[in-house]
Amino acid sequence: MSIAKSAPESRGFLTRVNPLAKIIASLVITGIAFSLKSVVAMSVLVAVLVGVLLLCITRDNIRQIGRGLLVGTIAIFLFVAIGMLLLNNAQSALLYGLRLVAILLPTPLLALTTPPADLVRALQTAKLQSFLILSLMLTWRFLPLIQQEAQRILEANQLRGVDLSRQPQQWFSGLFVPLIFRIVSYADEVTIGLETRGYDPNAPRSLSQPLRWRFHDTVFVGGTLLLVGIVSLLERYS
Amino acid sequence: MKSWNLKDYVFAAFMTIGIAVASAIAVPLTLGIPLPGVRTIVWAPFGGIFLTLGMARLQRVGSVALMIGTLALLLSRLSWIITAFLVASLVITEVVMLFRSNYRSRFNRLLGNVIFFASTTVTGALIGAYTASPGLTQWVSQPWILLPMTLLSGVAGAIGWWLGELVIKQLQRAGKLDVDR
Repeated sequence: MSIAKSAPESRGFLTRVNPLAKIIASLVITGIAFSLKSVVAMSVLVAVLVGVLLLCITRDNIRQIGRGLLVGTIAIFLFVAIGMLLLNNAQSALLYGLRLVAILLPTPLLALTTPPADLVRALQTAKLQSFLILSLMLTWRFLPLIQQEAQRILEANQLRGVDLSRQPQQWFSGLFVPLIFRIVSYADEVTIGLETRGYDPNAPRSLSQPLRWRFHDTVFVGGTLLLVGIVSLLERYS
Repeated sequence: MKSWNLKDYVFAAFMTIGIAVASAIAVPLTLGIPLPGVRTIVWAPFGGIFLTLGMARLQRVGSVALMIGTLALLLSRLSWIITAFLVASLVITEVVMLFRSNYRSRFNRLLGNVIFFASTTVTGALIGAYTASPGLTQWVSQPWILLPMTLLSGVAGAIGWWLGELVIKQLQRAGKLDVDR
């Protein structure tokens, strides 16, 4: 699976927003979630985040998001229930439950609406060290391939009557050793391929589609600031 | 000291993939267990193999930072909390390993593994608990919970190192890995 193929199919509003703006917004929201002490303010923040998540639902990800929402809701209910028992205070337990949602939601939202290729472009624009970008690109590109290799090894074992899912003691010799040999071979092949093409991680690189600040980026930043303002006001006056 | 080259970056990236695959295989087994560090304990024996391989091949201080830093960036798409505790533990590991100067010897690789996985349990438990609620931080940071889990994580990291050294021998025999011993 290539980076391009793993990108979301639909190009909704959030998908078109500058990834750097989304990363900063996600960090700001996480920071605010840590500082809020009012249940009302926290509820508004969580409601907006859940609303945005629901807007991101497409035919491709409905199962993934649906399952995540179901499991997440059960986990949060359990978390609040345990919190009520431990803290003996329903309001605090609810606040911490909502805070957990507000801290955990921005990153999946960022991931759902940012194709890896866009994120790499954003990191290049942000002048992140070139070797880190290379490592990240290689990891994104080859992680699905290595997972396929692991799957093939599992199937080969099954054909020989070894069900590794029920025999963790066989994982090392049956799964990891052959997988490591494949990984090391891949690493050698990729190095040779990159060296043959004269790839230099430290050389300046051009971008075919450079990131530009667009109108929808301004709208997104404005919306985030509005949310932060409303939540801050609610925190102060409630 | 040799400078980092393309081969090192590519090898480190593939070891990061190995660590990620190991976590994808092992961690789901323990998702329902609400104990700090339990995920590290099941992940360390397999993740440690790749960490040891990376240390053995790259040998310099900064090897753990290169592998785990990429993993932390990759996992930032799941949660900033994972990124935060991975970065905290890689900083701890690299700072301690600065005093040992490199990963050339087997003992240094063992030490690197033990420190990384033990510190992952501590930072993961504290950052995770603080994120959830300050009350939970107090509960989790009690020595009778955190200390045994940290020790077990260190032992699991040592098992990962031992398995990693076994694989290094096999790779050397197959002519696939050039490592000074």
